[in-house]
Amino acid sequence: MSNPWIAIGALAVVALAIPITMMVVSSLLRPSVPEQGKTATYESGEVPTGSSQKIQFNIQYYMVALLFVVFDIETVLIFPWTVIYRDAVDAVGMTKALLPMVVFIGVLAIGLGWAWRNGAVKWVRSPRATKGADTYE
Amino acid sequence: MQSAPLPETLAGLAGLDPNSVPVMILTSLIGAALIGTLMMTNTALAGPWAKRKITAAFTDRIAVDRIGPFGLLIIAADSVRLLSKELIVPDGVDRPAWDLAPLLIASSALLGFAVIPMGSGLHLADPEVGLAYVFATASMASVGLVMAGYASNNKYSFLGGLRAVAQNVAYEIPLILTGASVVIFAGSLQMSEIVAAQSQTLVGPLPSWYAFVNPFAFVLFMIANLAEVGRNPFDIPEAPTEIVAGYQTEYSSVYFVLIYLGEFIHIFLGGAIIATIFLGGPAGPVLPGIVWFMIKIWGVFLFTQWARSAVPRVRIDQLIEIGWKGMLVLSLANLLLTAVIVGVIA
Repeated sequence: MSNPWIAIGALAVVALAIPITMMVVSSLLRPSVPEQGKTATYESGEVPTGSSQKIQFNIQYYMVALLFVVFDIETVLIFPWTVIYRDAVDAVGMTKALLPMVVFIGVLAIGLGWAWRNGAVKWVRSPRATKGADTYE
Repeated sequence: MQSAPLPETLAGLAGLDPNSVPVMILTSLIGAALIGTLMMTNTALAGPWAKRKITAAFTDRIAVDRIGPFGLLIIAADSVRLLSKELIVPDGVDRPAWDLAPLLIASSALLGFAVIPMGSGLHLADPEVGLAYVFATASMASVGLVMAGYASNNKYSFLGGLRAVAQNVAYEIPLILTGASVVIFAGSLQMSEIVAAQSQTLVGPLPSWYAFVNPFAFVLFMIANLAEVGRNPFDIPEAPTEIVAGYQTEYSSVYFVLIYLGEFIHIFLGGAIIATIFLGGPAGPVLPGIVWFMIKIWGVFLFTQWARSAVPRVRIDQLIEIGWKGMLVLSLANLLLTAVIVGVIA
């Protein structure tokens, strides 16, 4: 059995070569007609104001990203257990193989419940965003 | 019936020594070019042609039928048309990131096909961590999406990029946990082992594909996969009626093609993962393996297009709640139930 990562590296080369070839072909084919106003960012036809990197967005995006980090590490820790689980059941019996993982997932489930109760996964509606909607009702 | 990886087969055909490193590099490159071409052909067929035909059939219209038989030459016409568009670089874009994002989106999805067993000997590499590798490459696209959204200097793009990340992180964990429940059955992350574990028969003529062994996991995985590839009901990152086109608003010409292409390769990669871990990979009667593999991934593609035409979009708050309160809890339950069932019957 040869090293499989040679082949994966080869595919990485090919996967980069295909888009780069397309970019080169396109740069040979396409016209360049620089005009005033063409390069303005699209804001539904209005004159764009301000930088997009300074806009305010919902705090919830941070909350779900933080939760993701916790659960992503959890999946990393679950994977080795899933690989050996069958052999472990044969070797030490089901209780010993399963119980630690039940406890582990139980701790995480409690954590998820806590985040749930605190509203970390509930979308926050800012008063400013919903004020107009309320007056219409 | 475990066949050798493609580079070794090629070396054998050419009569070269498969143990020398230069030979392996050469044959790996040829094999990789073959796999890359195969997937690009699929994407070329799907993007400009099949997608339009399928959507037209769902909405009772006739799509592209002017050029060539069944309008198939639209593929050539469209690729020339799109590549010869002017590339407009908007004011104030974050330059290296803005250029790299389409490249990353397009090439990261192609990378995943290295470990997919496509049947008929078309299996580029078979590392022991195959499934973990393919999940890793599939999730690299979200980095590209947030790069595109942030670097575009456009409010719609920025919101689209944020939404794409929020969605991908919410549905990635159910996806991977459901994949882990398959690993409990197979006992290995190696793709060839997972396929081999599905080769027995379950009852009667029904093969023991994990879609039949654990249909609950299959349904969960299909739904999470829809969210991962950003198709309805989970297409909020590029919701055209709200934020123009999300992260790809400012992209034109070849960059637009690359993002679009990356999305389609991503759908096929999702289909390939589903085919491998739930539908027995290239297994099937009579026809050769590669044909069955193509039938399966096109089946998943058809399903995503069906969902795209038939299911209404969910809102961003609903999306987060379905992901974290529904899918995550169900996938944890699925994992534990699978472990209990396997433990009892083993």
